[in-house]
Amino acid sequence: MIWVKLTFGGFGRRFVEALAATIVLAATGATVAASLMVVEGARNTLSRAIRQDRPDVVEVKSRFNRALFETPRSGNLPPLTIPVYEPLIDPAELETAAGDSQVVKRQSLFRNVLSGDSFLNIYIFGIDPDVERGLSSFSLARGRFLGRGDHAVAVLDQASARALGVDIGATFPVRKADGTDLQLTVVGILDRLALRGAPPRSAEAPSLSPDSTFVSSGAFVNIETSEDIFGRDSLTDALAVARTASDVPALVAKLREAFRLEPGIFVTERYSQYQRKVRDFVLTLALFSTMSVATVLLAGSFASNLLHDIYVERRRQYATLIALGFPPGMGIAPAIFLGLVLGVAAVVIGGLAAHAFVPRTFAMPSLMADLGPTEPTIDWVVGCSLLAIAIAAVGVGLVSTALRLLRQPLAITLSEDNL
Amino acid sequence: MQPLVSVRSVSKTYRRERSVVGALRDVSLEIGQGELVRISGPSGSGKTTLLNLIAALDRPDQGQVIVAGIDLACLSAARASKYRAQQVGMVFQAYNLIPQLSALENVLLPMIALGRANKTRACELLDLVGLADRSDHSPSQLSGGEQQRVAIARALANDPSLVLADEPTGNLDDQSAERVMGLLTSAVRERGRTLLLVTHQRDTAQTVDKHLELRGGVITSVSGMNTSDDLCSAP
Repeated sequence: MIWVKLTFGGFGRRFVEALAATIVLAATGATVAASLMVVEGARNTLSRAIRQDRPDVVEVKSRFNRALFETPRSGNLPPLTIPVYEPLIDPAELETAAGDSQVVKRQSLFRNVLSGDSFLNIYIFGIDPDVERGLSSFSLARGRFLGRGDHAVAVLDQASARALGVDIGATFPVRKADGTDLQLTVVGILDRLALRGAPPRSAEAPSLSPDSTFVSSGAFVNIETSEDIFGRDSLTDALAVARTASDVPALVAKLREAFRLEPGIFVTERYSQYQRKVRDFVLTLALFSTMSVATVLLAGSFASNLLHDIYVERRRQYATLIALGFPPGMGIAPAIFLGLVLGVAAVVIGGLAAHAFVPRTFAMPSLMADLGPTEPTIDWVVGCSLLAIAIAAVGVGLVSTALRLLRQPLAITLSEDNL
Repeated sequence: MQPLVSVRSVSKTYRRERSVVGALRDVSLEIGQGELVRISGPSGSGKTTLLNLIAALDRPDQGQVIVAGIDLACLSAARASKYRAQQVGMVFQAYNLIPQLSALENVLLPMIALGRANKTRACELLDLVGLADRSDHSPSQLSGGEQQRVAIARALANDPSLVLADEPTGNLDDQSAERVMGLLTSAVRERGRTLLLVTHQRDTAQTVDKHLELRGGVITSVSGMNTSDDLCSAP
């Protein structure tokens, strides 16, 4: 109880100053928190863009040939082998152009597969399972994913498996380019699937995401198996992963140069858009950081000054405690504790105010349109920043008193006329 | 027998703006266990400085201050605090009571510093100074004389071997001053403790064992039963 009284008692007229310091610190905290929340939101948006858009990935796609796909197939026709991409990408040429960048090869095929008494349209993707899992997302419901060395096995999404009426261990036939059937054994069923750079969806086929304009279903096989089905090692599409995002422009230039004589092969990148987002983020950071720093300097110094006045008035009390035999640290403990309580109270009030009043979605100024709307976020970075500001303000207010008590003879402080 | 307080060739100066003021000049003295010593002299003669040095509230520029075998110049701030808690009871002219604490809590403070708060003893001390019925009062509710009596009770809280009183009656009227001095000297004598009493008045009603007079930072006269001229410097 004595320590509580020593810390919080006897403010007198200084109570108003303590209250004012807390309010100013809380207002500072709210402003800074709001600014940092927007910056954090923008940072999250940018991180999401990096994670989702993968600016380091360059897509190389051959043209999706609708005319070939729409070959009439009505009537009781045998399953057809229908190439959907034309022209095809020469893997050797791609590897050479990509240099030391990682190349993720794909073959995307479209097949009529025998299902009961009818045919079912189904996408077949030949992939390198180890590399592809680093870029696309596959969530297994049952069974296992593809492995290196697998042959004539497939992993299906739930919708395709249901439509084909197959489950783990079952087989289904796929017509190869040479006219014979290859029996694919199902080893895994996917319940979620997000294929990076998926081809556009333009034919009826079982789908995990019915509203998606991109393919969200199919049978996944090793690329060796798909080469066997396709009868060639040419790629329908591929991804080139640059060593760093900044290498993308050079990589794109090399790929475009390599395929300049193939007008049906398109090289696309997201790096330019990502760069615009980065620029927007930097602008956001600069704008709101400037606002935060200005607020901290102006309001924080004002709060520090108020606290300084409180500490100066109580300085002789702290000196008396030390003179009575308390260790110096304990002598100034009430001052430190008082500052911390005021600071933490201000941080909590400011943080709550910011959380309550900052909009859930912050529309960036039009000059920063590429980053898009951000969701202001309060997290440990914001919390720690607020706490650091409060501690700094209290520290600045306390420093002269602490130095006086710890560095100068106590006799001088005790002779001051301000108990 | 080894003296409780030994001040050896101590000098202390203060800087005031551009000038240097000599507060103490080559002062030496020894005070034995159980002695009541009065130090008098005009304002600015170095009395409070001497007391501050013995209380380890300040450090000498030259010389040594040894109390109970402890060389105070060698103490860190933390050890100086411990020394004060264990060895010294201080009575300040301005009382230096903590205004937001009650009289009882003020008396308890030195005990808390030593980690042995004893409310019963604090009450006994307040009873000793005649303030048992005012223990819950805050300093602002007490008169000057009463505040100084609380300060005396606080000084005696840890039963220190040395009580230092810096002009304890400086802010009191004659009647209160007489009562406070009587309380202080009798309390110290009863416990067989050493009292170093600083006052600017040359004569007080209380009898002391030794009387030192300081002028211009030097001891100009020493008188009393146990006075030994070779222990004290003179100009």
